[in-house]
Amino acid sequence: MLLSYLLLSGVTTGALYALVALGLVVVNKATGILNFSQGELFMFSGFIAWSLHVQLGLGYLPSFLGTVLAGFALGLTIDRVAFRPVKSSDVIAIVLATVGISFVLKGAARIIWGGKSDYLSFPPITSPDPIVVGPVLIIPQQIVAFLGAVAIMLGFAAFFRYSRLGKMMQATADNKKAATLVGIRTDRIYTLAFGTGAAVAAAAAVLAAPLTLLYPDMGFSFFIKGFAAAVLGGLASLPGAVLGGFLVGIVEALAGGYIHSSVMEVSAFIMIMIVLIVRPTGLLSFYQARRV
Amino acid sequence: MALLGRRNVFLLLAAIACVVPAFANPYHLFVANLVLIYALLAIGLNILVGYAGQLAFANAAMFGIGAYTTGLLQVHFSFPFWLAFPCGALVATVIGLALALPALRLSGLYLALSTLAFAQFTQWVFLHWEKITFGAGGFKTPRISFDPLPISKPVGLYYLSLVIVIAFVIFAQNVIASRIGRAFVAVRDSEPAAASLGVDLLRYKALAFGISGFYAGTAGGLYSQMLNFVSPEGYDLFQMVLQKAMIVIGGIGSIAGSLLGAGTVILLLEALREVKGAQEVVFGGLLVLFVIFLRGGIVSVLRRYVAGWDEPLRNPQREAEPDAPPIAATVEKPAQ
Repeated sequence: MLLSYLLLSGVTTGALYALVALGLVVVNKATGILNFSQGELFMFSGFIAWSLHVQLGLGYLPSFLGTVLAGFALGLTIDRVAFRPVKSSDVIAIVLATVGISFVLKGAARIIWGGKSDYLSFPPITSPDPIVVGPVLIIPQQIVAFLGAVAIMLGFAAFFRYSRLGKMMQATADNKKAATLVGIRTDRIYTLAFGTGAAVAAAAAVLAAPLTLLYPDMGFSFFIKGFAAAVLGGLASLPGAVLGGFLVGIVEALAGGYIHSSVMEVSAFIMIMIVLIVRPTGLLSFYQARRV
Repeated sequence: MALLGRRNVFLLLAAIACVVPAFANPYHLFVANLVLIYALLAIGLNILVGYAGQLAFANAAMFGIGAYTTGLLQVHFSFPFWLAFPCGALVATVIGLALALPALRLSGLYLALSTLAFAQFTQWVFLHWEKITFGAGGFKTPRISFDPLPISKPVGLYYLSLVIVIAFVIFAQNVIASRIGRAFVAVRDSEPAAASLGVDLLRYKALAFGISGFYAGTAGGLYSQMLNFVSPEGYDLFQMVLQKAMIVIGGIGSIAGSLLGAGTVILLLEALREVKGAQEVVFGGLLVLFVIFLRGGIVSVLRRYVAGWDEPLRNPQREAEPDAPPIAATVEKPAQ
């Protein structure tokens, strides 16, 4: 009973981490950098969803769409403000710029939504009562979040496999110079990558919102777990990020259930440190030249 | 040396700093002491990030480790401050040296994230190892007294900080002007090139991490004694962003810039003390603005318009000269 419950909740949160990780990987594949404000995009989108759903009284689906659009717009802004002006300089400048943005978002959320109470709760979209199926206890809300996340992942895969834009993004990630030569506007692809990455984070936030409370400091923990998931998959692999997300979620749930609840927070940090030191190219890659 | 050169300006500032306690009220003295402590942090971080080029996010954790070690040794083992303080700096140095090991294998983004994970791990230890660290509520540390001397604790601590800052600034200047400083810059600009010139990467990366850990640990000891209170939230991510903002605003890769940045940031922080959200927006925004529009920080403006602000080993790449193409742009990224 405990094990099945833990696995189920691990898979659910893992699916959300996988979405955050997908956003990181899309940006990393296209541009070679990490968006340190990904977690704050997630948090900020969660608050936008709250405003749309609770304050404006929109339904869950319209607020979902609205939030994803808003997230996309935020991603474009980040590209314009913090990436494009500094992209030709060193990596320190880019990292510091995205870190700066993340704090601007966090402070803005604190100013806009923080005054009402420290933690905002998002109303549940299904009945809160758990369903008992044989020996397994299922919380409907988790199932909704899980199915939503899987649907988004499938949509993502289809986008990259079948759409023209997705193929252009893959070509740019593969070889920027060649992509430019065949007429792809790589600058726009970068912009698009930031937008898509942020939109995925926004989608994850709307799915996660009914399961967790919203507060301005929540972004970092999702960022670090999303990063743990991405780095388990090697930081440049979309399937790897999904696998990593589930792994991080399950390990975290098991550690919380069997060791101590406080270990949940720290399991991701430990995983990051171990993976980076022992196997910096991720679990799925077998050989890669060292980047210098 | 020009009249308004950095040496004269800093001598004048040091002279003013010596007489501050004579006319400052307790709050001004507190802010002045805070500036001194943050000057130590900024110099240590700048040696690591600005000179040695290691993008580490663990400086706030080192600061915390120094403060916790100093405070806890006093509380649990009733060490006197004079013994606990160097122990705290030493522990931070050792942990800093240990952090250089992952830095040997990782660079750039990966190093940033593994040190970020380490910093959060340290936070977690401060929060959850309640038997030792007293958890989220923090703990009080005993006040030191400067008994034989006829001065109060804040004034005594201020002078102690001032002496330490002056000594550490001189030490940092000399390190940077020496073979070690040149090795740091070589490692920053290209690790393979540095290694092929005979620079021992392990030794110099460890040295950079060790020095910054030592500076941060020392600052932590002073900070714990200044507040007589240690709690986890003083050493969190926001602390890290403050320190990054200091070196970016003052000038990355500049000792003088670290001092200017520490002063600017602390004065701004005190002006915004009321609103946490506004602090985050302002410092995050300043970080972005300086990175985009004034890469070399305040010190690069001084260098251009005032004689005598040139430092040894300044980094032309990060100067704010719009027509000069950045060096990094000409280096092809390896295919992914």
